[in-house]
Amino acid sequence: MLTMNNINKVYQTDMVQTHALRDFNLQVEEGEFIAVTGPSGSGKTTFLNIAGMLETFTNGQYLLDGVDVGSLNDNQRADLRNQKIGFIFQGFNLIPDLNLFENIEVPLRYRGIKATERKRRVMERLEQVGLASRAKHLPQQLSGGQQQRVAIARALAGEPRFLLADEPTGNLDSLMARQVMELLEQINRDGATIVMVTHDPELARRAPRNIQVVDGQLADFTLYQGNPAVAVGA
Amino acid sequence: MSELKPILNALRRSKVGAILLLLQIAITTAVVSNSAFIISEKMTYLNQATGFVEKDIFTFQMMHFGNDVNYMRQAELDESTLREIPGVIDAVIVNAVPLSGGGSSSTYRLQPTGQKSKGLNASIFEADSHFLNSVGVQLVEGRNFTDSEVVVSNDYAQYPTVGIITQALSEELFPDGDALGNTIYRGDNPVKIIGITDVMKGPWLKLDRRDWSVIVPFVMADKLTQFIVRTQPGERAQVMQQVEQHMLSSNRQRVVENIRGFEDLKAEYVSPDKLTMRMLMVMIVVLVLITALGIFGLTLFNINKRTKQIGTRRALGARKSDIVRYFLIENSVISTFGLVTGSVLAVLMAQQLMKHYSLAQLPLPFIITTAVSVLVISLLAVIGPAKRAANISPSIATRTI
Amino acid sequence: MFLHYVDLSWRSFKRTPMVSALMVFAIAIGIGVTMTSLSIYHMMTKDPIPNKSERLHHVQLQTMDDGEGYWSKDDVPFQVTYQDAINLQNGNFPYLRSAMYKAGFSVHLNSAQFKPFVQEVRLSSKDIFQMFDLQFIYGGTWTQQQQDDIAPVVVISKSINERLFKGVNSVGQSFYLDDIYVQVVGVIEDWHTPVKYYDPNNGSFNDPENIFMPFTMGAAYEITTAGNTNGWKHEPDNTFKELLASENLWWQFWVQLENAQEKEEFGQYLMSYMQQQQTLGRFNREQLTYNLFNVMELMDYRGVVKHDNQIMVALSFMFLAVCIANILSILLAKFLRRAPEVGVRRALGASKRQVFYQHLVEVTLLGLLGGVLGIILAQLGLWGVRASHGAYDALASMDVTMLFAAPAIAMVACIIAGLYPAWIVCKTAPAIYLKSQ
Repeated sequence: MLTMNNINKVYQTDMVQTHALRDFNLQVEEGEFIAVTGPSGSGKTTFLNIAGMLETFTNGQYLLDGVDVGSLNDNQRADLRNQKIGFIFQGFNLIPDLNLFENIEVPLRYRGIKATERKRRVMERLEQVGLASRAKHLPQQLSGGQQQRVAIARALAGEPRFLLADEPTGNLDSLMARQVMELLEQINRDGATIVMVTHDPELARRAPRNIQVVDGQLADFTLYQGNPAVAVGA
Repeated sequence: MSELKPILNALRRSKVGAILLLLQIAITTAVVSNSAFIISEKMTYLNQATGFVEKDIFTFQMMHFGNDVNYMRQAELDESTLREIPGVIDAVIVNAVPLSGGGSSSTYRLQPTGQKSKGLNASIFEADSHFLNSVGVQLVEGRNFTDSEVVVSNDYAQYPTVGIITQALSEELFPDGDALGNTIYRGDNPVKIIGITDVMKGPWLKLDRRDWSVIVPFVMADKLTQFIVRTQPGERAQVMQQVEQHMLSSNRQRVVENIRGFEDLKAEYVSPDKLTMRMLMVMIVVLVLITALGIFGLTLFNINKRTKQIGTRRALGARKSDIVRYFLIENSVISTFGLVTGSVLAVLMAQQLMKHYSLAQLPLPFIITTAVSVLVISLLAVIGPAKRAANISPSIATRTI
Repeated sequence: MFLHYVDLSWRSFKRTPMVSALMVFAIAIGIGVTMTSLSIYHMMTKDPIPNKSERLHHVQLQTMDDGEGYWSKDDVPFQVTYQDAINLQNGNFPYLRSAMYKAGFSVHLNSAQFKPFVQEVRLSSKDIFQMFDLQFIYGGTWTQQQQDDIAPVVVISKSINERLFKGVNSVGQSFYLDDIYVQVVGVIEDWHTPVKYYDPNNGSFNDPENIFMPFTMGAAYEITTAGNTNGWKHEPDNTFKELLASENLWWQFWVQLENAQEKEEFGQYLMSYMQQQQTLGRFNREQLTYNLFNVMELMDYRGVVKHDNQIMVALSFMFLAVCIANILSILLAKFLRRAPEVGVRRALGASKRQVFYQHLVEVTLLGLLGGVLGIILAQLGLWGVRASHGAYDALASMDVTMLFAAPAIAMVACIIAGLYPAWIVCKTAPAIYLKSQ
């Protein structure tokens, strides 16, 4: 599904070179649910941005579904993103001017889907996250947890096979965080591959596979693979 | 001025905003200084003294029809009718009306045709001895026409050989001041100068010959005659109302029209220039407003963008006045660059205007005054937002967002 | 997608109403000022008779002896002499032509009930109506026979017909021009032209005449011109007969030439005419020249557009530039503040092009609004111009071209202002705005 070989990302400013990712290697299989942890500044977000094609990398090879991302131009990356990837952000990033329906509609519009089909899909997603009755509401009229559920609905609207979540529960209280997590697990069971960056070790433990990024490099441990229900106490 | 360096650095980082502001100030300076100069030229032109008591003088035209009119006799009759109307000081038939934009002109030389000599194109007024009194212009030298000098005729062969000229013309033709008694020539026809008048504008205020006129004691009445009437102060409106009736009472076979006050004639003649002046005035006022608004808006935006930075500065001990000063200096730096660019632009523009439209050279004081005014307005536009910035709470620095 | 962008733009206006209003206002002011001066300029320069201006030609002959100068830019006199006007009128060539000049008359009905009034009358050939597209309501032009026989006949305009005959079909009716008892043979629609191109000698923006009579009446009734007479030669011109024989310039001459070949042939005709006149002792010069300008060439040659108007147009475009710079900086601020939203859109699959296009649609709409508001401001400005200067009544107005040009210029101005901000916002890396709010 996703293969990164020796990916390097160097940020160049006037004075300093920062090596955000260093010979980063990762293989993600279809249907996996991976939690990415690591200290601040370790390169988690850079990894996620590169995985989501929001950023380019300095060198190395990145294959997404067999497509060599490094050879794509900006427009092709935008299309690929639109079709294969769903994003969930810590800050939800709903567009304040658009109501819930329209927010979820955004990726479908960019894909050029007809209005009737858009409506069907959006409503389906809203049902799924339990907010169908509030389709006409604006984001600021919802609680944080509800907003994040809308954001997830938006990420799922294009039926992506690959979901990238950046601290999806970072701004939520523990109850809401659990609900969101359960939603993600449900989505994963339905077949989507999920990569989730998180600070929260408890949350990370719920993912079948954990990887840790330290100093731009990968420390992989798949301790809990195959047994997500078992939580090992510290 | 210790802030100057960080300000310059900050400007270098937000180049586009600074350049846009600079550009606005530059164009504004160039447009305003040139427009202001054109306006001042127009004002001088519009406000030039004509030498007439415009409010007491009016003019009208009379067109005759009917076969059996002796225009000459009718003319004399009309003149005396007019002079007897209560409130009228004097009235005269004239070939051309000052300030009206219509008349005749010819070149007068110091020598007759065939000999090379200095010559000037001057306006010609043909009228009898009542002309000067009817337009209210004084002689500064010499005398008025005597009745015997006045020729009333249709025959140009009897054209008079004496004339009164304006002082401006006499000074141009006779720089030594010996005009009186001398003779000038229109083609081969001599005109002996018997009098010199005070300032008196001709029919065309726009042309070089506006101040150069020759008055000749010749009355040629024809189908179409023009009159100038001067009234006692305050009586003009009433006389203007009656004049048609008075004229038609002696002879109905004619049309009286174009009864106009002198100031109206002038206003109509100069109205395109007045229009240009007004349009320019409106334009520079709005332009300065727009520019000020732009500076105001941009400063506000910059302050919003730098809220946290300003809070941090305040937290680190900057006084309110320091913050205000920071923005004022920043604005002055941009404005100064803008004004320098604008001044260069203004000069270039003025050169183009000179080249294509025969405008006079733009005097430096116009650029300097404009530049200083634009600077002041630009600083005024900054003060409000800067004060608002100074009121940003230092505590903002400790917030994370 | 376009409609979606329009919808987004409208939401964006509503979200920042003050800033958007400021931008619309700025562009409207710019357009208002620009369109005010541009409309006047446009009316002055626009083709006054588009379907014929290529074909109508104005004749100027260099009649003056060597060494004499005139105040035209090429020293060729603006008008022609009586002799030349008549000779060309009677010339042996197959083109429509008219010698012409204007005169002033008292118009009356020789009755105490009717108050006489003064009118300018154009003396011309019978071809003038066909040449200058003057439309007859009643009757028609006078005949060649009437023209040759010096018949006292006239063609009057609709407004004169109203005034004299209350608008009824007045063909066959008579009235007086001074003491000449003239008979109406035709009534035409009023001649409307913002520029008096066919005789700009007494002001380019004066109104056309309302009465027309055969030019042959001029010499027969000793009708003097109400226009300019320019003389360069010292010669007797005290009587009307002397004036007719003199080198005084007071007539205009127009000829209709269908194509370049006819123009070429007529030019040859003029040269041979002048050579023939040289044998009669006129045109004492080495180099014989003439001007044969069509309508637009003549307007350019005569400098119909005043310098003041050209300066105003140039200045108002600089004004517009300031407005553009203003809008540009506001747009930059506005768009950059929206960068996080754009980041989300990019993450959801919007391409740079789509983002760029969305923002251009927004600025274009801004321009459209500003343009429409600008038209209102320009109308206000033009109203001010008309109030301030009566002679500009016909000029200070917007025709259809200008009405469409206003929003077009506004939109182009806004697109110019919006290109850079739109480009900046579409090329910002999406990732940096997504991490936190």
